[in-house]
Amino acid sequence: MNFRFSEEEEAFRREVQEFIAEEMTEEIRSRWLGGLLDTEERRRFVTKMADRGWLAMGFPEEYGGAGESMPLAQYILNDELHKAQAPIVGKNLGVVVNTLLHHGSEPLKRDFVPRILRNEIQWALAYTEPEAGSDLANMQMRAVLDGDEYVLNGQKRFITSAHFADYMWTGVRTDPDAPKHRGISLLIIDAGAPGITITPMWTIIGERTNDVFFDNVRVPKERLVGEENRGWQYITEALTYERFAMTSFAPTIRKLDRLIAWVKEARIDGRPLAQDPVVRRKIARLAVQIEMGRMLDLRCVCLAASGDYVPYIEAAMNKMWGGIVETVLADEVLDLMGPFGYLWHDEGHAPMDGDVVDDYLWAGHQRVAAAGVDIAKNIIAQRHLGLPR
Amino acid sequence: MDMEYTEEQRQLMAAARRFMESECPPSLVREMESSDLGFSPGMWQKMADLGWLGLPFPQAYGGYGLGCVDLVVLAKELGRALCPSPYLPAVVLAGGAIASAGSEEQRRAYLPRIISGELVVAFAFQEATTAYDPSGVALRATETPEGYYLNGAKMFVEFAGAADRFLVVARADGSDGVTMFLVDAKAPGIRLTPLRTMARDKQYEVTFDGVAVAKEDVVGPVGGAWPLLEPVVHRGVIALCAYMVGASERIQELATDFAKQRVQFGRPIGSFQAIQHYLAQMVTEIVGAETTTLYAAWTLDEGLPAREAVAKAKVLAGDTFKQASAVGAQIYGGIGFDESTDATLFLRRGKQYQLSMGHSGYWEEVLAAELLDR
Repeated sequence: MNFRFSEEEEAFRREVQEFIAEEMTEEIRSRWLGGLLDTEERRRFVTKMADRGWLAMGFPEEYGGAGESMPLAQYILNDELHKAQAPIVGKNLGVVVNTLLHHGSEPLKRDFVPRILRNEIQWALAYTEPEAGSDLANMQMRAVLDGDEYVLNGQKRFITSAHFADYMWTGVRTDPDAPKHRGISLLIIDAGAPGITITPMWTIIGERTNDVFFDNVRVPKERLVGEENRGWQYITEALTYERFAMTSFAPTIRKLDRLIAWVKEARIDGRPLAQDPVVRRKIARLAVQIEMGRMLDLRCVCLAASGDYVPYIEAAMNKMWGGIVETVLADEVLDLMGPFGYLWHDEGHAPMDGDVVDDYLWAGHQRVAAAGVDIAKNIIAQRHLGLPR
Repeated sequence: MDMEYTEEQRQLMAAARRFMESECPPSLVREMESSDLGFSPGMWQKMADLGWLGLPFPQAYGGYGLGCVDLVVLAKELGRALCPSPYLPAVVLAGGAIASAGSEEQRRAYLPRIISGELVVAFAFQEATTAYDPSGVALRATETPEGYYLNGAKMFVEFAGAADRFLVVARADGSDGVTMFLVDAKAPGIRLTPLRTMARDKQYEVTFDGVAVAKEDVVGPVGGAWPLLEPVVHRGVIALCAYMVGASERIQELATDFAKQRVQFGRPIGSFQAIQHYLAQMVTEIVGAETTTLYAAWTLDEGLPAREAVAKAKVLAGDTFKQASAVGAQIYGGIGFDESTDATLFLRRGKQYQLSMGHSGYWEEVLAAELLDR
């Protein structure tokens, strides 16, 4: 049992912190968890990390990787990026590169992996549809093979990066007659292909996501990832990477640190908040719940780093607890503020720049996104405890 | 960063699990609830023979010199079986206090006999307050030419009826801090009053009415015991956390098995999401409480400032066991409240242990002080 990072790991952490101190700007900072690479500034920031070889850590050299690295390097990198509200290196590596390396054809690996590791191309994950949310395997968008090309028709929804992505990593139905989990395939689609229409959907905190419509979009069959009709397996495997690579506990810890700093200074109705016994007890309870999240996170990362083990259950536990704690945290903090809590962000009188309003509204997203709290509970109950369906 | 147990820790875990399964079934737990002593001297002797009573003590006194993480491994197994024993108060706390603060003579006189199971020393610390620190200690020690007279009352003293000695934390006249004394359990002026508890364990109010103690039975510096005792208390609290994690794990397993077998509405109730989601959250909280407890134990073993980690572990493990025991009984439905169902053994302990050794409100204030007042 050892909860200490090694000298080497601590040295890397300091290097990342120094990089962030040098390169991070207010333009890059994102209120969103895992800020998107949707602006030039944010892309440049990540390219600078790529130039340092930080995107290539742990990936094989023949595809532009840096070879063996410290197992916790990617975790430490993302941890620090999350703390700084900087763009993270999540889905491009966690989902696309990992899946391509495990299941992709040789030409796909050679074509895409080196360019991702240099941050030359951006991706949108396109799984969700109007009728395929929590029941993701119900995706209906058809891909019909016509000669050497698939022809795609249908709609994707909540495709967050679609408006700036170069490629879409897309789940399509290739066998409508098979059971729903066995008729899905994964395709790489050029985001600018003829027949694709992207329309914005604005989320509750004013960030953009998208509906994407496909009208006879033609995709070369070489863009099929792995085997036809095995897409569901690849998607669920990668959701595990997503659950722990993209949902670090660092943002929640940062919010607690900021809350504590605020409570130490704040006065409500003329009285110092930090001396109110009710407030003190609330802060303590939040700190306990967040400590548990930090521990689940570390445990998951340790297991993932210890070998070929895929921490499917641990990632679901992480995901579940993260969703619960984010909601409780934002809710309790707004309660401390009284009516000042509902002032919109950047409003003059808003405590903590009104960031907690965003946190509160956005916590709901964390309860539902990428297989949310309730789906995570189903996974734990059925896969881990063996309860019957 | 490494969250694996060592080979030795895995062996200890497996041996303790086997021992508890054969020696400490729920029937024994029930039997001890209605016994006078509250634990089985036969089982206690076997635990001593296995070396477990020596686990935290230095090898020079016959112990194994193991750390708090090892203690967590053992205490978790005791908790799985709801093992009734004086392990926490007599070995970890009273024994720990002697090992930490006692003179060489006191260590030689007491530790080998604690380790062999010959001597039970009860830990008389808490009084009629909720605090689990010196702020709650008012019992007076008045100095005389020969030693001290003790006057006052202790509460929640576990296994006082089975004790040979008391380790008493008192306030000596003229000094600011607290002082520890070893007192013969049969000394004149000591009176025991049993306290009936939800868990039906053996706790007492112990009053000291002019109890004479010799100078050589002072343990550690007069007025300066707390800096030496606080890390011992922390280890005791973490052992309780581990016990609660083990007990939570067991009630979760029992409730999960029950949910797979119990049929209502023509289906096993474990197929209903209402039940599945209770159990999924429960098992996640147990893993979280276990890891948080291990982190605090590791912090203590490393000699790092541990108050914050201990407070977090106690609140979390307390919440976890209380909730697991309550939801566990609920999953059993009506029979979860039938006295003869094992789930009730857990239900009666879950809330009690959350309130023991500093309730959540106490540790939350300790934590708030660490976070907000520095």
